[in-house]
Amino acid sequence: MKKINVPCRDEALDLKAGDMVELTGKIYCGRDAVLPHVVKMAEEGTLEEAGIHMEGAVIFHTAVSCAGIAPTTTSKPEIEGSIVPLSRKGAKFHLGKGLISGGTVQGLKENHAYFLVTPPVAALLTAAMSSCRAVLFPEFGMEAFYEITVKDFPAIVAVADGETIFPNQEET
Amino acid sequence: MIGLDGVRKDTARAVVEASSHWREDQLACWKNACEKETLPRAKWAMENFIKNAEAADRNHSALCDDTGTPHPFLEIGDEAVIPPGLLAAIEEGIRDGLNDLPARPMGVKGNELERISQCRGMYEEPGMLMPAPTQIRRIPGSKIRLTVLMLGGGPEIRSKTQPIFHMHSLDHVIDEMIKWAVPQVAKLGCQPCTLSFGLGRTACEASSLSLEAMKDGRYDVQSEIEQRITDAVNSSGIGPIGLGGRSSVLATFIKIGNMRASGFRVVSMRPNCCMEIRKGSCEWETKEGGAV
Repeated sequence: MKKINVPCRDEALDLKAGDMVELTGKIYCGRDAVLPHVVKMAEEGTLEEAGIHMEGAVIFHTAVSCAGIAPTTTSKPEIEGSIVPLSRKGAKFHLGKGLISGGTVQGLKENHAYFLVTPPVAALLTAAMSSCRAVLFPEFGMEAFYEITVKDFPAIVAVADGETIFPNQEET
Repeated sequence: MIGLDGVRKDTARAVVEASSHWREDQLACWKNACEKETLPRAKWAMENFIKNAEAADRNHSALCDDTGTPHPFLEIGDEAVIPPGLLAAIEEGIRDGLNDLPARPMGVKGNELERISQCRGMYEEPGMLMPAPTQIRRIPGSKIRLTVLMLGGGPEIRSKTQPIFHMHSLDHVIDEMIKWAVPQVAKLGCQPCTLSFGLGRTACEASSLSLEAMKDGRYDVQSEIEQRITDAVNSSGIGPIGLGGRSSVLATFIKIGNMRASGFRVVSMRPNCCMEIRKGSCEWETKEGGAV
């Protein structure tokens, strides 16, 4: 188990597909509704002035609500479509579940970023969270862009350097 | 006489139970599959699922943050006396249950066109997520039984309802069902799953039968055809959360309805996610002097 403090600006980080990790620190959460807006802000260069720092960031594909947190399906177009653009702006980890396309695997490689998966175990994952606040588009409710603080949040590296651990990657 | 206050309270309890509790046959199946899993990362995922179910059960909290859309399924005895306001009381009970859990606030505001794009946002109250239309079946006796099934969003992306040309061969239809299942289970992200199938004459009927299969399905009672489908999909090696391993499907639930003379059967398949089948039931005696 590799313990990683996030956001992670460690240039020497060398994770392999299949590595198990635990994340501690602040991570961002967003899904279908908000991620296209975050991408637009990143491309317009307005994220920093809104207090959002992409360098080394974790983007967790989840809603945040009174029912807790747990990964949603990453391959939904508005979610998967955010992975490569946000990696170009410095995001290091995209955390979700399910297969992603070959194009996204390649885009992650080109930007030295990783795709992590974690089981959708809301009761356990929510217990790893100590604080949360909506940082962008609070009007989206559970689908706003959140910053949460986690300790020892478990995940597995599913895609690293063009390699995946999914035996059925060809299904994409 | 059946009391509407009791109906409302029992329904609320069924919603919370469905959302936070794995039944005995379900938990036993999971533990058995986890014990047999040899790939370490697959075993890690399954152990987490089981710990999660135990934590949710202990705290009466949500198994998954996608607490799902309530699907009421009502079975009404041929001799049952149905009180006025029964369906309204059930709907109020579902609203109470979603608020009690609490469920994820997912009810979309606006008129029917505005709801498509979510342009008016969402309600803050979890109970404003309206249930799906109630399914009704008849049963012998004088009782009314309600099952509330909570259906999450991920499986809906992978569900499929289409005709299969049967070629006058049961094997051909089963093989097609397996061909449907493998790629959809692979993309689900929430494995190990279960598969539910309804086979009927129309798309509407097949979907309704698929839901009935979920209502009736037990993990420890599998027909030969159900086991055949489960085994076939497991041989693909998709594994828990797609990480590889032997457990991609834990059980299959099939409901076959009436057929008509034609060259096709309509099949409705839903790969139910790892947290499902989430269902809770309650039952009321409607005879005079019967317990509510």
